Amino acid sequence: MTLTASTDAAALASGAPPTPPGRRAAARGRRVRPGQPWWFLLPALAVLTTFFLVPTIYNLVYAFTDWSSFKTAINPVGFDNFHSLLSSGVLLADLRTTVIYALLVALFQNVFGLLLALLLEADTSLNRFARVMFFVPVIMSALAVGYVFQALLKPTGVVNSILGALAGHPVRYAWLADTRWTLLYVALIHAWKWMGLAMLIYLAGLKTIDQDALEAARIDGATTWQTFWQIRFPLLAPAMTFNVATALLGSMNSFDIVQATTGGGPAQTTEILNIFIYRTFGQGLFAQATTMSLVLLVVIAVMAFPTIWLLRRREQVL
Amino acid sequence: MSGASRGWRRLVHPVVVVGLLLFALGVPLWLVVVTSGKSRGDALSPSLALPRHGWHFGANYSKVFTDGRVWSAFVGSVSIVVPSVVLLLLFGAMAAWVFARRRGFAVSMLYAVAISGIVLPPAVITLVLLLRQLGLAGTLTGMVLVYTGIYMSTAIFFITGFIRTIPPQLEEAARVDGAGPVRIFFTIVVPLLRPVLATATILICLYIWNDVFYAFFVIGGRKDTLPLNLFQVASAGLYLNNWHLIFAYVVLMSVPLLVAFAVAQRRIISGITGGAVK
Amino acid sequence: MRKRLGATAAVVASLVLAACSNPSSGSGDSGKGGSSSWPKETAKLNGTTLTIWAAQNSNTVAKKVISDFESATGAKVHVVTIPDPYEQGVQTKVASGDKPDLAFWQPTASELTSLNATTNLQTLDGAPWISKFSPALRNITGLLHGKRYAALISSPAVEGVYYNKQVFAKYGITSLPKNFDELLTDARQIKAKGGTPFYEMGGDKWATQWWVQVQLADAAKQGLWDRVNANKETFGDPTILNAIKKYKALVDEGLFNKNITSATFVDQGKALLAGDAAMVMQVNSFFGELQASASTAELNQKIGFFPISPSGNVGTFIPDQSNAVVAFKTGDGKRESAARQLLSFWLGSEYPKYLAAQNTVSLETAVPSPATVPDALKSVAASVPTSVGSMQALAVANPDLYLNLANMLAGTMSPEKVASTTQAQFAQLAKAIGAPGYK
Repeated sequence: MTLTASTDAAALASGAPPTPPGRRAAARGRRVRPGQPWWFLLPALAVLTTFFLVPTIYNLVYAFTDWSSFKTAINPVGFDNFHSLLSSGVLLADLRTTVIYALLVALFQNVFGLLLALLLEADTSLNRFARVMFFVPVIMSALAVGYVFQALLKPTGVVNSILGALAGHPVRYAWLADTRWTLLYVALIHAWKWMGLAMLIYLAGLKTIDQDALEAARIDGATTWQTFWQIRFPLLAPAMTFNVATALLGSMNSFDIVQATTGGGPAQTTEILNIFIYRTFGQGLFAQATTMSLVLLVVIAVMAFPTIWLLRRREQVL
Repeated sequence: MSGASRGWRRLVHPVVVVGLLLFALGVPLWLVVVTSGKSRGDALSPSLALPRHGWHFGANYSKVFTDGRVWSAFVGSVSIVVPSVVLLLLFGAMAAWVFARRRGFAVSMLYAVAISGIVLPPAVITLVLLLRQLGLAGTLTGMVLVYTGIYMSTAIFFITGFIRTIPPQLEEAARVDGAGPVRIFFTIVVPLLRPVLATATILICLYIWNDVFYAFFVIGGRKDTLPLNLFQVASAGLYLNNWHLIFAYVVLMSVPLLVAFAVAQRRIISGITGGAVK
Repeated sequence: MRKRLGATAAVVASLVLAACSNPSSGSGDSGKGGSSSWPKETAKLNGTTLTIWAAQNSNTVAKKVISDFESATGAKVHVVTIPDPYEQGVQTKVASGDKPDLAFWQPTASELTSLNATTNLQTLDGAPWISKFSPALRNITGLLHGKRYAALISSPAVEGVYYNKQVFAKYGITSLPKNFDELLTDARQIKAKGGTPFYEMGGDKWATQWWVQVQLADAAKQGLWDRVNANKETFGDPTILNAIKKYKALVDEGLFNKNITSATFVDQGKALLAGDAAMVMQVNSFFGELQASASTAELNQKIGFFPISPSGNVGTFIPDQSNAVVAFKTGDGKRESAARQLLSFWLGSEYPKYLAAQNTVSLETAVPSPATVPDALKSVAASVPTSVGSMQALAVANPDLYLNLANMLAGTMSPEKVASTTQAQFAQLAKAIGAPGYK
């Protein structure tokens, strides 16, 4: 006589319906097999593989060929493209620009987003209105943002006329033609466009902070400053991970805003790698352009993964 | 804290907010809106000044509406965004459920592949070549599938993270009661996913609504979407002489998303709060 | 699980096999090779739809031609604007297999090569309108390896000096300079009296190369670009390098506008029209910009043109995308023939109406130019027969010389670096093209 049978018999005897097999197994303490079928993965992976992975990998394969718009045949050329690319200085210069740009964007977007979230935390109607307004740049297309800031930052544009009015004499600074500082300005514009999203994520993060902990701190006499740094900021770690990761990845993979405002100028000082890739592609040197994509990919992986891993670790620690 | 200083504090906050709004948003948005109402001559040099030759809102917006085929572009954009979002959320959630609940080496490897799309840049040319071979180049279906492919990794990443924060007890109980996985998924898991689905919807909508790069190569010239037609409007005037029309178009293009956001704002924040960031 | 992996692998493998050759290779010839037939201009084409790709500044050029063609033949013609940078957009779309029936395209050998003309374009040899062209213009451009791929539809652009007549008068310049040295003398005279001799658009960049190319006109006539094409001379050798250095010296001397690094194409047009500067070294599209903001009468009064070269008034011609149209091999015989028909129509019976609508100079001996063509454009057209080819027209590849020159203006590159960077780009492109001497 097995235990099962006796349990059943007892159950039957007491008038209850026989327990279904699964529950019996659970009652026995054996692990229930997971109920998520493998085929649930299929649609997603099928679409992902066909419409994303295959073309992307294909594209990277072309980095090892001499694919160009000039001729029909494609021949493998091994590492030739990499050699010639690395020996010209442009790749390294553009990589440097891209990395600096990404870091600046990640910094500004997060700082602005956090400040806005803190400022607009309370649910007043003014704050709610302001939140929607700050989301407007997020909604505008990058092209539109580019046009707007071109108009604002021309030497005879709006920003200069405001500064001129304040300073008392005409200001004709060419914001988008400064070989030293334009990269900074463009990073600021990028942050301006996306800070609404960072604000939203930080707002959400702030709202999940346990009110009791804050009450306790206040009773203990902690100042606003202390409350922030020691309780709220650490608890915002997940939000920060998300924001920093998306800012880094977003700025390194996209080029809309830079293209729309400066096109990589002046003197190629804002030429992030994607713009160089686009330009090379436009000259018909397809294989060289895909080589650069491959290099960019490696750089992104090298930069992004450790950063995300570090931030995730910090989340868990905190 | 004394009453007086609290009163002072209470004044500072709105002043700061309003000041920030004016400075960081007011100037650019004023420029856009005012220029969109100017005549061509006035708009040649965009400035904050009010128009000297009268308001032309009606003329500009209706010109943009017809020249830019805004209605057809709107329909085009919507008929691309909606199916893409539905497919992404459905397939993404299905896959995310498996990734979040199952363990094992194979699962981890597949997961890594599934989210690799976040880092990998999509390759336009080979993508379009593939579409041609499948006979989908220049079609809305092709465009929807392209966007679904590009953003699938993002969707899976989000939803998996979220599901991991949901205790599996409810599902286990249902399974033990004899419910099949499909039923468990749709009746138990999906309702719990509402917050992350809301967040993912917003993000994906943002990316796809404004995308012009991929749209140009897949359907450019054959179908209308709002960003593609912005290009047409901007290029209708030589040498950017059409600031008034460009900005009118920008306003028209941004309004639908803005309205949607304003209406759903509270839901979205609570949705994100719900745990997408956990 | 394993089954699914297998299935995916099979799909990937078949795709790999399917696309072993260049993915953008044509979907097959229309079959007849070069000697295509030339249908009657107004043959009925009901049910045929043609697509023409145009750039921002050429999308209205064919408007009248198209509407007349549609009424005469019943065909539908659809103009699609490819956003700038035009050539890049077209090349990418063509590489992905997307081809129009016709497109505006720069008819130079280097640009025809970059579109893989031999595979993608129809040859236009034997067309009925070729003999209508004036002899000097018949074979000036549009040819690659002896075959004709592009139809010239407007007078090829010429690099030269557009000047403000009133400013010249103001500073006492009564006769036009006859060579480069005289040009500089006049410029210095203007500067001495407080004016701005030249205006350059260092912000938008692409016009910076005219200054260098114009100085190379004499050398070009003596085969400079042939030598560069064969790798017997480089950008770093004295001929070209000195031209670059001279340009820099002129800028350093103060003969240009102060905001040279940020000035745009629009600024340049405004400045010349307003008289803020005396001269601009530019091509036809600059005049097109002026026409968008001033009447012909005003332009005739204020703006003139003269070509310049080191030893004389020789222009450097540089046909641009709005000057010519190419017809693609789409594999659809009916549409290919319709495309040829449109070209015959355009350059045949429609030509006078087209000239009147576009107000542009005639290229055909039997058709006179409209009287309302601005004087400056007439001067430009008159300089074409004696002009010399530009880098774009004669070199086998088209490096980004303008970009490097703009960097030089912004102070981040020396003339030597400009030359070496441009040469490196040229070599890379020439190698990809398969030019002998650059393997």
